[in-house]
Amino acid sequence: MLHFVFKRIAMAVPTLLIMAVTVFVLIRLIPGDPAALMLGDLATPASLADLHERLGLDQSLPVQFGIWFGNMLHGDLGISITSNQPVLPLVLDRFWISARVVLIAVLLASLFAVPAGMIAAWRQNTGTDLFLVGTATLLYSIPTFWLGLLLLLFLGLQLNWLPVVGYVSFSEDPGAALLYIVMPVMTLFLHEMGVLIRMSRASTLEVLRLDYITHARAKGLSESAVLWRHAFKNAFGPTWTLIGLVLGNLLGGIAVVETVFTIPGLGRLLVDAIFARDYPVIQGCLLFVAFVYVAVNLVVDLLYPLFDPRVTAE
Amino acid sequence: MTRFLAALLGTALAAGAATASAQSITVALNADIRSTNPGVNRDDNTDAVVLHMVEGLVGYRANGSVAPLLAESVERSDDGKTYSFRLRQGVTFHNGAPLTSADVLWSWNRYMDPKTDWRCRSDFDGRNGLKVEKVEAPDDRTVTMTLDHASALFLDALARTDCGGTAILHKDSLKPDGSWDKPVGTGPFRFGEWRRGEYVTVARFDGYQSPPGDKPDGMVGAKRTALASVKFLVVPDASTAKAALASGAVDVAQVLETDVPELNKTKTVEAGFYPSTTKHTFLFQTRDPLLGNVKLRQAIAASLDIPQLVAAVTNGEGKPNNSGVAVTSAYYDAVQAKGYTYDPAKAKALLKEAGYKGEPIKIIANKRVHVPSFNAAVIAQAMMQAVGINAQIEVLEWVTQLDRYNTGNYQMMSFSYSGRLDPALSYEQFSGPKDSQPRKIWDDPAVQDLITKVSTISDEAQRQAIFDELHKRQMEATPLIIFSNGQEAWAHTKRVQGADPWEGKARVWGARVVGN
Repeated sequence: MLHFVFKRIAMAVPTLLIMAVTVFVLIRLIPGDPAALMLGDLATPASLADLHERLGLDQSLPVQFGIWFGNMLHGDLGISITSNQPVLPLVLDRFWISARVVLIAVLLASLFAVPAGMIAAWRQNTGTDLFLVGTATLLYSIPTFWLGLLLLLFLGLQLNWLPVVGYVSFSEDPGAALLYIVMPVMTLFLHEMGVLIRMSRASTLEVLRLDYITHARAKGLSESAVLWRHAFKNAFGPTWTLIGLVLGNLLGGIAVVETVFTIPGLGRLLVDAIFARDYPVIQGCLLFVAFVYVAVNLVVDLLYPLFDPRVTAE
Repeated sequence: MTRFLAALLGTALAAGAATASAQSITVALNADIRSTNPGVNRDDNTDAVVLHMVEGLVGYRANGSVAPLLAESVERSDDGKTYSFRLRQGVTFHNGAPLTSADVLWSWNRYMDPKTDWRCRSDFDGRNGLKVEKVEAPDDRTVTMTLDHASALFLDALARTDCGGTAILHKDSLKPDGSWDKPVGTGPFRFGEWRRGEYVTVARFDGYQSPPGDKPDGMVGAKRTALASVKFLVVPDASTAKAALASGAVDVAQVLETDVPELNKTKTVEAGFYPSTTKHTFLFQTRDPLLGNVKLRQAIAASLDIPQLVAAVTNGEGKPNNSGVAVTSAYYDAVQAKGYTYDPAKAKALLKEAGYKGEPIKIIANKRVHVPSFNAAVIAQAMMQAVGINAQIEVLEWVTQLDRYNTGNYQMMSFSYSGRLDPALSYEQFSGPKDSQPRKIWDDPAVQDLITKVSTISDEAQRQAIFDELHKRQMEATPLIIFSNGQEAWAHTKRVQGADPWEGKARVWGARVVGN
């Protein structure tokens, strides 16, 4: 088991290295000079030269990469061009803000979607199935920014139940923090629930057609016993993998939701950094996102045998 | 569970009540500020917030002229090279220390230290032409600055908002190691808290000494505030800002022009347009094989129904202006008001004279929300096509467009310049040698001489004559088409009055809460 973990971590190293080089090169291929952007149309050749020097942009690309890469190996992702803050603490701070929203949303979505998908499969081609599949398709089809705005207008503006803008951290005031993240969590929850219901239904349908399920029914087991004791574990495997992918994907940035609900999370940090050509922050964010993706999927793989003992670490 | 829900409801009500607390308002910013360090790491939002806390020796009036701010008076020597600033009495910093000429000296030396990274250092150390050779403090209330040559723009440069108004700061603004801490200035508000990515708060400075005046006038005039505190809240999405205004969670926000009529229909919000010296333009690359032909540029100008174009992109609120002198400027006169005339027949005749054979002309535009770049390009494209010009639009992300602007790599571009209050600075923005500065639009040595001349003389009549001459030459050469100045759409809740923005920036020291 330990060998497997180390092997997976070792496999992640080249991924992250390739990511580091790719991100560094790609972001510099995009037209745009962060110094020119900071100075805008007020730039003079002298002020531009000053800023290039201060930001280290007057050095050649290989030199810039060498400095950044060397610092990165020491855990230093550099200093933000726009805010002058160290990148790693900045990324971590913003990540925890996004992570809270994402983890709660995905947890709730999983808790609702998995049983709903199984019930839809169990009641295939009935009104219940049609309703659940229709709802899932609808939820999945609505773009998150629009769903977010609808919630904001309805729950925030019309009913005045929830704050429309702002963010409060849990350490500051847990009650208020909960209020402020209800709508973003609900947006992600509804959207991801659509995805997961469809996967849960599809994988349950496959399992319900297998011989051992027929055998269980032939033994005279109740439908609930067949469904939860025998079908669930096998059917949950693919959904669990999808939950991992969804989690990795969302933890990498929910910029749209964060923008609509004014959450200062990782996604917004990344998008702002791209528009500002804040190279160190873009590089730091993307590298961190890649790391999170790898880590989440590693955890998913390690937990997989709990649901399907046929799959082992070996 | 019931108790938990009750607690949540209580928190919600408290949050709601907090927005309505007396004499405290919330202003939406579309992006976080970059720093609290005046003129160092900044953008428009940063300037807007910081200038509530700090002040310089001089500041801009609404009409673009410069007036004393921390100075009581400013005297210029006969040769125009020495400026003597007499400081106002009774002014104190936020930490209670009185303002003296030593603080001015300290602030100036800090700005001119390369380690400070003050963005305007090159405007005063000779690299951009002007050099401050000597700064002295003959007594506690007097500061003299000696220049290497007379300049009509010296006070303007000191007052520039992007320079942080060359704010006079107290030494306590720095940490013991010399790094930046927070602004300890003399402004009507003192620094409260900055939660990066979330908000900045400022609180009223009770020891504030306002410059004379009975109402706010640009960055000068009456500045004593009735507000106890202001929260500048980051709301990046325009739709969210609109909802926040309607719900009362935000009191003041910049909004989309298209949202103004809808917001004015609500019971709680008032929206309107506020002029700025921003210039909305179509730039031509005069070194382009096609657009190097002045006849073709004039044909494009004649093909544009500029009043219609401006009305369309500003919901009927904007005023056309083809001059480099802003309509709000004291130098905007009848000559400047004379603009291009829409004349499709003349446009067609000019196209024929230019030998135009339907070659494509690409207009670069961007879709930033608070500038009319894309909308103006679409309307111009239709008008140009109507006279037979093969106009095409290429939409670029703003930073990419800026890169193309800086390198001069374009044919035609729908571009907005940031505001310049003195017309000489406005003309300087787009005039200059393309060989050394490819971003410059109008490369004409005679024009450059006029701009240099108007930058050194202070006589208003002489300056007016030069600005008039520049405008006539610009209309003739048509290196660019300025079609209007900024009309910024802002909205505020009806519980707040007097929160009029200035030059596209939030300015709330004149605001007061009049309702719940």
